[in-house]
Amino acid sequence: MGTLITIQVVRACGEADEAISRAFGWFHAIEECCSRFDQRSELVRLTAQAGRPVPVSAILFEAVKFALLVAEESGGAFDPTVGRRMQARGFDKEHRTGERIRAVSGPDDGASYRDVLLDPDRRTIALRRPLTLDLGAVAKGLAVDTAARELEMFTDFAIDAGGDLYLGGSNEQGAGWSVGIRHPRRENELITSLRVSDQAVCTSGDYERRGHILDPRSAAPANAVASATVVASRAMLADALATAAFVLGPREGLRLLNRAGVEGLIVTPDLERYETRGLRHAA
Amino acid sequence: MGMAQSGPSKKIANSLVTASCAGVLAVYIAGYTRTQHAADRFAAQVAERRPVVHDPSMPPIPEPFHSREPVRPREIEHAKPLPVAVAPQAAEVVPDDQPAVTVAVPTPSPEPSPLPEPAPVAAEPKVEPPAPIPPPAPKWKDGTYTGWGYSRHGNIEASVVIESGRIASAIISQCRTRYSCSVIDRLPPQVAQRQSPDVDYVSGATQSADAFYGAVVAALDKAK
Repeated sequence: MGTLITIQVVRACGEADEAISRAFGWFHAIEECCSRFDQRSELVRLTAQAGRPVPVSAILFEAVKFALLVAEESGGAFDPTVGRRMQARGFDKEHRTGERIRAVSGPDDGASYRDVLLDPDRRTIALRRPLTLDLGAVAKGLAVDTAARELEMFTDFAIDAGGDLYLGGSNEQGAGWSVGIRHPRRENELITSLRVSDQAVCTSGDYERRGHILDPRSAAPANAVASATVVASRAMLADALATAAFVLGPREGLRLLNRAGVEGLIVTPDLERYETRGLRHAA
Repeated sequence: MGMAQSGPSKKIANSLVTASCAGVLAVYIAGYTRTQHAADRFAAQVAERRPVVHDPSMPPIPEPFHSREPVRPREIEHAKPLPVAVAPQAAEVVPDDQPAVTVAVPTPSPEPSPLPEPAPVAAEPKVEPPAPIPPPAPKWKDGTYTGWGYSRHGNIEASVVIESGRIASAIISQCRTRYSCSVIDRLPPQVAQRQSPDVDYVSGATQSADAFYGAVVAALDKAK
C-alpha cells in the first residue's frame, strides 16, 4: 500500500509479538489481493476477465461487496470503479515504486459500480464490461480492521496505517486516545484533536495529492472539501465514508455521516467546519 | 448515536455498520487458519502436558482456583456482564494473595485455575441453568456481534447473530485455548435455543465453558 504501518500494544506481554506479526501479515495479504498496481494481484487478474464470473478469495469478495454497498448508499459518490477514470487522469503510478500500471485499452464507456455483480453462494465476481476497480479506501481499512482483531485481546493498542487509525481501549495513561487531525492548509498544525476509544479514524484530504479524489459521477476532481474525517467502529467504513463525504461536499456529506450513524468532521477549502453532534474533541 | 430520524435512514445506518463488521469478520475467519499455525504449534506443545482424562469412576477431584472476587452463582454474573476485560497480560499482574478456595462443584470464576485442568468431575451439568425462558425485556439490535471470553488456558471469541431482536445463532469464531474447543461443541447451539448466554457447565472443561459464556455475554452486551 506504500504506507508506513505502526502498531503499538500498551503493556505488551510475550504473546504480543506473535499477534503483532499476524497483524502485519494481514496488511501483506490484503495488499496482495487488492492492489491495482501489482500486476499479479488477484484484483488485477479479476479485471482482466470481464464478462464472466470469476471465483475469488474471501478478502477480495468482502472488500468488493462492502465497496458496492457504500456505493449504493452514497448514491455513487463513492464508486470503486472510478479506477479507470483515475488512470485516464494520470493517477496510474504506484507512488512507492514509481512503477506505472499498464494502460487499459478501450475508451471509458461509463462503467459504474452497477457493472460489478456478486454471487455470494459461489463467491464469484463478474464484471459486466471492462473496468478497473479501485479498492484503495476499502482495502486499507479492511487491513486495519483485521489487524485490530488480531490485537483485540490486548484491549489497549493503536494501529496507524498512513493516517488510517484504529485505537483500541486506552493509551498508556489510561485515558482514551487523543488523535490529532491535520490542518488541511497549514502544514504541521492540527485543526483539532479527537478523543477516541475502540474506534477507527480516517481522513481524506486534498493536501496529499491535490485532486486525487474524483467525483465518480462526473469524473471531475472533487473540490468542495479540503478534508473529511470519519470516526467509526471499523476503519473500512470510516475510510469509505470519508471518501464519500469528501466527494459529496460538506452538507450532503454530513447528512450521509449522520444517516450512517458515524461521527465526522468536514472542513471546506475556506476552513468552514461541519461536524456531527457526537464528535468528541480532546480537551 | 445515529441521528437517523426516519425508518429508511435508520436502515441505512444499520446496513453499513453491520456490513462492515460482518465483512471484517468473514475475512478474518477465512484467513484465520493461515495465521493460526504458530498458535497451533503452541497448543501442541502444551497439550503434551495435559493431564490424563479423569476416570469418572474415581471420586471427584476438587478444583482449586483463585478468585479476585467472591464466588457467585452464574445467575448473578448474568445480571452484570463478566469482567471480561481481564486480558492475558493483565492476568499476570493480578495480585495472587487471595486465599485459595476449594470447592467440590465447578463454579464459574473470572479467574480460572492456574493449574492444568484437573478434569473436575462427575455428573455433567452440576447446576442447571434456569429453564429456557426467553427473557422478555432484552431486545438486541440486529447484526453480528463478537466478544471475547478469557481464561488462563486461553481465550475464546464468540460471534452471535441477532435477527429480529432474537439470537439466531452463536458460534465459536476463534478458539485460542490450549485445548480444542470441540470439548464444548454442544454449547453454541444452546445460546440460540435458550436465547441466553446461560449455557451448560461442562465437566472437565469448566474454564472453556466459562470463557465461552463470557464471550457470549460480551457479544450480547454490544448488541444492546
